[in-house]
Amino acid sequence: MDSDEEDYVFFGKPIEREEEITNRRKKAAAEASGNLRSLPPWKQEVRDEEGRRRFHGAFTGGFSAGYFNTVGTKEGWAPQSFTSSRKNRAEVKQQSIFNFLDEDEKTELESQNLGTSSQFDTFGFTAAEYARKQANKEQKQRPSAIPGPVPDELILPASESIGVKLLLKMGWRRGRAIKDLHASSLYDARREARKAFLAFASEDTKASHPTDFEPVEGEPENFLAQPADDDAQSSQSLPVFVINPKQDLHGLGYDPFKHAPEFREKKRSRLSNDKQHGYRKAISIKDSLFGSKSGKAASGFGIGALEEFDAEDEDIYAAGYDFEETVIEEDEEPSRLSVESKKKAVRKDQGVLRGFKVATVSDYQLERFDPPIIPKDFVPHHKFPGPLETLKKLDVPSPPEVPPPDDNNLKLLIEGVATLVARCGKLFEDLSRKKNQSNPLFSFLSGGNGHDYYDRKLWEEHQKRGDQAKLSLDGKLSPSVQKMTAENRGKLLGEKPLERSSRETTSSSVASGDFVQLQFNLSDTFKKPESFNELPEVAKPFKDDPAKQERFEQFLKEKYEGGLRSMGSSAASNMSEAARAHERLDFEAAAEAIEKGKRGKESLISEQPFDFLATGMQFTSGVQEVKDTHAENLMTKKMYPRREEFQWRPLPVLCKRFDLIDPFMGKPPPAPRMRSKIDSLLFMPDYVKGAKLEEDLVTNRDVPVAQTDAQKTIEDVAGKEIEVAAENVERPVDLYKAIFSDDSDEDVEDINTKKVEDQEKKIEVATTTLNRLIAGDFLESLGKELGLEVPPDMPYSTNNVSTPTQKETPNGENAILSPLEGRTFCAPKSVSGTSLNPGQETAQDGELAKNESIPGRSVRYSSKYPDGLSENISGKVNMEKIAQEDKKGKSSSRHQRNWSSSSSSEDERSRKQSRRHRYRSSDSYSDSASDHHDRYRSRSKGRRKKSSREKSSSSRKHSKHHKHRNRDSPSRSHQVSEREHSEARKEKRIRRD
Amino acid sequence: MSVKELPRKEANVLNGHEGAVLAARFNSDGNYCLSCGKDRTIRLWNPHRGIHIKTYKAHGREVRDVHVTPDNSKLCSCGGDRQIFFWDVSTGRVIRKFRGHDGEVNAVKFNEYASVVVSAGYDRSLRAWDCRSHSTEPIQIIDSFLDTVMSVCLTKTEIIGGSVDGTVRTFDIRIGREISDDLGQPVNCISMSNDGNCILASCLDSTLRLLDRSTGELLQEYKGHTCKSYKMDCCLTNNDAHVIGGSEDGSIFFWDLVDASVVSKFRAHSSVVTSVSYHPKDNCMITSSVDGTVRVWKQ
Repeated sequence: MDSDEEDYVFFGKPIEREEEITNRRKKAAAEASGNLRSLPPWKQEVRDEEGRRRFHGAFTGGFSAGYFNTVGTKEGWAPQSFTSSRKNRAEVKQQSIFNFLDEDEKTELESQNLGTSSQFDTFGFTAAEYARKQANKEQKQRPSAIPGPVPDELILPASESIGVKLLLKMGWRRGRAIKDLHASSLYDARREARKAFLAFASEDTKASHPTDFEPVEGEPENFLAQPADDDAQSSQSLPVFVINPKQDLHGLGYDPFKHAPEFREKKRSRLSNDKQHGYRKAISIKDSLFGSKSGKAASGFGIGALEEFDAEDEDIYAAGYDFEETVIEEDEEPSRLSVESKKKAVRKDQGVLRGFKVATVSDYQLERFDPPIIPKDFVPHHKFPGPLETLKKLDVPSPPEVPPPDDNNLKLLIEGVATLVARCGKLFEDLSRKKNQSNPLFSFLSGGNGHDYYDRKLWEEHQKRGDQAKLSLDGKLSPSVQKMTAENRGKLLGEKPLERSSRETTSSSVASGDFVQLQFNLSDTFKKPESFNELPEVAKPFKDDPAKQERFEQFLKEKYEGGLRSMGSSAASNMSEAARAHERLDFEAAAEAIEKGKRGKESLISEQPFDFLATGMQFTSGVQEVKDTHAENLMTKKMYPRREEFQWRPLPVLCKRFDLIDPFMGKPPPAPRMRSKIDSLLFMPDYVKGAKLEEDLVTNRDVPVAQTDAQKTIEDVAGKEIEVAAENVERPVDLYKAIFSDDSDEDVEDINTKKVEDQEKKIEVATTTLNRLIAGDFLESLGKELGLEVPPDMPYSTNNVSTPTQKETPNGENAILSPLEGRTFCAPKSVSGTSLNPGQETAQDGELAKNESIPGRSVRYSSKYPDGLSENISGKVNMEKIAQEDKKGKSSSRHQRNWSSSSSSEDERSRKQSRRHRYRSSDSYSDSASDHHDRYRSRSKGRRKKSSREKSSSSRKHSKHHKHRNRDSPSRSHQVSEREHSEARKEKRIRRD
Repeated sequence: MSVKELPRKEANVLNGHEGAVLAARFNSDGNYCLSCGKDRTIRLWNPHRGIHIKTYKAHGREVRDVHVTPDNSKLCSCGGDRQIFFWDVSTGRVIRKFRGHDGEVNAVKFNEYASVVVSAGYDRSLRAWDCRSHSTEPIQIIDSFLDTVMSVCLTKTEIIGGSVDGTVRTFDIRIGREISDDLGQPVNCISMSNDGNCILASCLDSTLRLLDRSTGELLQEYKGHTCKSYKMDCCLTNNDAHVIGGSEDGSIFFWDLVDASVVSKFRAHSSVVTSVSYHPKDNCMITSSVDGTVRVWKQ
């Protein structure tokens, strides 16, 4: 055919001959059977069952698509005929995808389904089912004698022979050999026994076993009986691969015996040997291997690129003996043993009796003991325990055991005291001794009855406490810092111990001299009872005067320690106030010096001007330093916890949700104000501040009895400076005129209420308002002064004030009250209330002079008093005020100081105070303030109803009165007005609430 | 209460959390307990029978704290997703989510009436959230802390917060006052004594400190355990006789309240003990740990 094609030119497609087609079919069949599958995928061709190449779609070449490249079907191209559902409803045909698929597509689809393959159809049920279906199908196609389908029961195609079925029923499974299982097991057992005998009989079983074993290995094959009719399953059924698990360390597929199959044979026999014998042999071999492992390499391994085997390079087949061993080793190792268990086995093997076998599973477990766990905080160097304990144990010989005194009460008392002393230190002992000098019960303290017992008890307690302390001893703190108490420090330095018993008991009844002695003892031995350690180290600047020294210590204690003030008890009653104040100043200076001395860490003792040096202290600076660090440590400890208080504004909603009353009554927080620059510049020069601060310290101590004199002296000092401050104040005062202009008509009413009010409070309120005004309103006032319209933004002063003014303006007569005129009275007030100490006559005088210049204005101010009632009262009040002037002066000055010293929180606090006053005024002062309040209320109501005429007349009256008063004492009047003003504020607040 | 009565026997182990359990809390009557953890769930248990009842899932990150109302009807929880979730206990649905913290939220508490949730956050603030209105804005932000707020306690009138800045701040709503007690060491957790007079603060220098609330005085220090880097709870027994704290090595410590001696100590967990909670009436305690378990201890 090839030659023909060369000679002729063909047009069109040649008609294929029958043979060719059959050929192709054969080829396709062959391909289907898997021949072609061996070809690489890119060479395989897809063909249909006719053997034609089959491609779909135009894009892929379109060899064959649809039904012979048409859209037709086997039945021809015809649409599915319409059948009326009216007649045959039931015949609504369910279309499925199979209606539209080609044959090959169908097979493809079916191939995706999972089904049991006959290969694994153990019991042949699926095969039977399949055959039945097949038969059914065939039945339909061919005509039969019996019409209709043959009932299933009649025809059951057999997929298995009866023999197989029987075997299955008997327990045979496909893939098993058919033989007498029982017999074989018997045989096996017998063989095993024989093997065991052999093993015991001779050590060298190597030779005998292979022969013994070969048949065993091959046994399955020999005895395998083919299942009678089976379809090539039996040959595969024996799982040959199972007996050959990978046991070596070679790579997958690597065969070390590739070119030496005889060795494989040998190895196998060896292997089986080992299987029979357990590890014994392998291990013995291994033992020998351990000895000579060095230059040995398995020939099978080859030589890596990095290995350096010069001599052994050629030696591929090493000495036979070695080679075998290595092989065995390789095989043995991975399969069973880890190195450790091997070792264990070795050890066990040695103790095995002949005729016994080592149990493979033994109950005996190698017991391992973990090394002791080192505690986390263990420091690997020795740390000497705190000196306290050791020293105590070494140095203090325990007092002899003493029987307790007969008196049970005394015994209890002694024990109690001992415990307390041990806990609180020697000071407690001293104190109680002093206190109970006269009490015979306490005579044991000073060597009387039961003193020995007390000593013993005390010692015991100390021991106990020492132990406790040791328990709680933390590794972090260095022991020297931690446990360095005065006592052991003294012991370290070899001082004479401050034993109460040793010295003070000599004079059995210690009188007042005892105290002095104590002082000397303290200073002499430089010892401190523990409780005193709380204080920074107290030097003894007033050693010559023990009483004074004691007071000084008391002072220091108070200064650094806080807590309860026991001034009354310690202060000498016979001291004058002035002397006391003087002493206090001294103390301050001394304390400061001590502080300084401590800060400069070195032995500044020599430089300290204290006379205690003269008494011959035998201490070096080192001691001082130790003490310093100790003190500092205590100081830092003392620093925490530190408590501070701030104002905090809970929002109203929160209060509501917590079911509490809003402490701020829903008031908005005060606008943040600019602070400190102006007031500190104007009112508080630094030196003034300093003085006041110091004084504040004193006043804060707040001892109502003892305080006054001392304060006075300092006030003298401070007062002078305040005067200076007053000079500074002068100028801005004018500016403040503007601020209070609107308040004028408020004050009118308040003149009635002021008389009963507490002086102090008024001043506080005044300062409050002032403080608020000082910074915040400064600009505002400036603006007003310049005639500019400044929007009122102060919630307390300006806002409230503005409303009454508006109320009044409709009255024609009130036109006189121009804001400018009202200002005057406030200006001096602000001065006197804040920076000026009213008690200070000099400053006052200065102010008076200034105020004299503006009497006319204040007259106008007073013209606003609403009714005649106030006339008398105001006069009276005026006198009262004058009488109270002095007192007030003092108190005001104190408040003023508070204000100046605690400038940061001052605003808040003062407001708080005012708030407090507000509450109090409604509670404790209810008879007065609330009365006034009511009166005020009613009056103001009434006043609103009053005609303008009335007002004007009354105001005129008042004006007269005030003129008079002003002439009397202008200074007083402005003081009064100040009070009025504060009153007004208070009243206003009350009203608002 | 003698030492023998301390809950030292393991009664139940509540397994279920995947990953660390960050907090375990009894409810108010002590019949149930809640735990929450790194697996972003909150779980409700019956600790006495060892039964897991319910799981609450909605958090996007780890849940750090949970608290239940006295009437057991609502839960609040917080965690790494910066939100406070307000749950309905029975349905397990989130009623409300409060957003606003700028960082992880470390602790939440209901107030007495369950009307307010107060949360403490990494953003150095305490925030109070209103449960009654529908607003999800905080009704109060307290931002006077200088560092992360780790823990919060509420009384009838006060909000108390403990912060890493070393302070325990008490905000008294009645008088509008903030009282700051500086301990000098980062405060990890605070818990109040049952008589309400003291605050137990767990500091990161491995010390528990007992503060007198009225004076700010340091009453006692409890040492021995390790607490250096984890947020770990501490609490007092229901009779205020002992102080309980966990340790980072998984131990539980019992101290005598008065003399601060370690009364008892045992290893409860294999890892850090994150939380301890004491039964309000019985001698029973639950502890949670990083090892993923909650354990119930009885005497």
